Amino acid sequence: MSEKNITMPVNIDEQAEANQTRRSFLRKSVAVAGGAVIAATAAGRAAAEPLAIPPTNKILGRGVVSIPYGLPSKFEAHVVRRNVEWLTPDTIASISFTPLQDLEGIITPSGLHFERHHGGAVDIDPSTHRLVIHGLVEKPMIFTIEDLKRFPQKSGFWFLECPANGAMEWNGVQMDSVQFTHGMVSCTEWVGVSLLDLMKAVGVKKEATWFFGEGADGAALQRSVPLPGAKDQFGKPISDFDANTIYKDIIVAYAQNGEALRPENGYPIRLIVPGCEANMSVKWLRRIKFVDKPLVTYQETRHYTDGMKDGRFRQYTLVNETNSVVTFPCPDKKMSGKGSYEIRGLAWSGRGKVKAVDVSVDGGKTWKEAKLVDPVFSKCFTRFTMPWEWDGKEALVMSRAMDETGYVQPTLRQLIDERGTSGIYHKNSIQTWKVQANGEVHNVQLRSL
Amino acid sequence: MSNSEVSKSALVKSVLAAALFAVSSLSFAAGTDGIGKPISEKDIAPWNISVHFDGDGLPPGKGSVGDGEKIYQAKCAMCHGEFGEGAKGYPKMLGETVEHIRELAQKGEDTVGARGINSLWGHAPTLYDYIRRAMPFFAPQSLSNDEAYATTCYVLYIAEIVKDDKLVCDASVLKATKMPSQDNYYTDPRPDVKNVRCMNDCSKGAPEVTGMAVVGVSGDTSRNEAKPANH
Ligand code: HEC
Repeated sequence: MSEKNITMPVNIDEQAEANQTRRSFLRKSVAVAGGAVIAATAAGRAAAEPLAIPPTNKILGRGVVSIPYGLPSKFEAHVVRRNVEWLTPDTIASISFTPLQDLEGIITPSGLHFERHHGGAVDIDPSTHRLVIHGLVEKPMIFTIEDLKRFPQKSGFWFLECPANGAMEWNGVQMDSVQFTHGMVSCTEWVGVSLLDLMKAVGVKKEATWFFGEGADGAALQRSVPLPGAKDQFGKPISDFDANTIYKDIIVAYAQNGEALRPENGYPIRLIVPGCEANMSVKWLRRIKFVDKPLVTYQETRHYTDGMKDGRFRQYTLVNETNSVVTFPCPDKKMSGKGSYEIRGLAWSGRGKVKAVDVSVDGGKTWKEAKLVDPVFSKCFTRFTMPWEWDGKEALVMSRAMDETGYVQPTLRQLIDERGTSGIYHKNSIQTWKVQANGEVHNVQLRSL
Repeated sequence: MSNSEVSKSALVKSVLAAALFAVSSLSFAAGTDGIGKPISEKDIAPWNISVHFDGDGLPPGKGSVGDGEKIYQAKCAMCHGEFGEGAKGYPKMLGETVEHIRELAQKGEDTVGARGINSLWGHAPTLYDYIRRAMPFFAPQSLSNDEAYATTCYVLYIAEIVKDDKLVCDASVLKATKMPSQDNYYTDPRPDVKNVRCMNDCSKGAPEVTGMAVVGVSGDTSRNEAKPANH
């Protein structure tokens, strides 16, 4: 192969070069005999090896468009979505988790966005796909994807979180990985059409107090979303926040991080209901119907309702409350010796902007406010950082976020005292990582929290 | 130029300007004209299969427990069990009663695995809706309206919600069937817990670790029960 032909002589060169570099380095360090070398020894660390010219300096690389759609480096092959086999009987009605431990900044690459399907991901030809909007409207309408792209664009950076994020941890620690304790959340720039513009186009009648979206997948998944004036199945009004604010942000999205939606994320169109249970952001959207009462269907009774300690079930727990997690260090990313580090993590709130994140390394006895990294958007991942001098001793690392409403992320103990342990959904409690002296990091729960 | 002439031409100019302004602002206004096509509710009907909790949207048709048993044993039992007990990890039809779920919960026991159709479906019409749209899992939307009525009727029977094995289900029967969990729901009262933002001296004594996890995806694959998703 041509690659071999090129690299063979390069390797020989490299060897010669390395020897030379080493010789000249030794000469220099003998001559200088001080400064850096002595400092390194004083810090108890061996000095770095003399440099060799990297082999890639001595070869030609791949030409443009040899990979027309760029892929991550082969050295990043471990950065993948993962699933937990014993969680579901098959992978069709199942979930995969985002590798939060490997992500930087606030955007989740589209191919790493967590997946939750109820009837598998389908491949839909956009030229045949249609969106119907009907029900309590002046004129029922049908739209092609091209039609939808003629509407004014609305976009936003929003997280999507399955409300079951963390569900495996209610009855004690289970997963020794941030990917599995928190990876049912991702954050994306979504682009599409504002629901408000679509409502105008079809002339939604004032009797409409709910709408639902429905998917074109095998689950034909449907979820009810409240509008102003919404009442539940018992005639009780839905809260002001839920009924009067959620719908204003909603879009029918056709793009994700600069390109078309990925099939697993609803190609060619999906609803995005910012801040809310991701189950409401119906994928492969084919229909929106305006109605005057909720459906109260499968996804609103059997699932996505929260079992309480009195044995009753909470319904329409739509908003994902403030949550955060330290993504370094974490069980997936160990410490490598004592010294300087930056603790990093993600915080998010379905009610607006993250206002502050506090970090503790002593199991919650003392806390210090972390730095929020720009940009800080509403209903979006917010990155936080905190410098840390690790003394090499055991530490209990945790983060606690507060959002712009003043809501402070709770402890698991507080959630369990109020709700019991059979809620499944909305476990947004403070996460503790135990950093051991050997640098390993483990998922732990604390008695007091 | 006389005064009146000046004012006349000024008027013409300003009218013209106003007209131009109106035209330009109009052409840059965000509109929705000419986008999409109107469609009649009649033409939407094949997609309009959603059924509300109170039975709104149930189609005409009917099916019996007996007919449902045949369909269920042929197309459902392999996953949901011959008696609705669940199979191969797929959901069971018959769970614990609402009363028992409440008892378990109040004793602090986990109720997640105990749930079935008798414990957690508030309304019979939405059971029909779900079976018609999503089941059988390998062939969704393949049951006719009558078959969906029959299967729903049988599922209600094996979930011990209806007792009569001669029952024939239609829209009015499903509307009249009260599910045991109908009143076991209430709408979100959150925020329900209130943490405070303590910064110093926040807990007494040394923190006590009550549990440490053992399943992970770290380099140590011996502890790694989870595998990369196949996508
Ligand atoms: C290949 C396996 C399979 C077959 C066959 C199957 N189902 Fe299912 N069923 C599932 C899965 C998977 C789910 C859960 C889907 C999800 O996660 O949303 C489910 C869920 C259900 C539920 C909701 C159960 C609950 O938790 O309350 C009902 C009811 C149901 N199926 C009825 C039927 C009926 C009726 C048939 C036959 C006409 C059928 N199923 C055939 C796999 C199957």
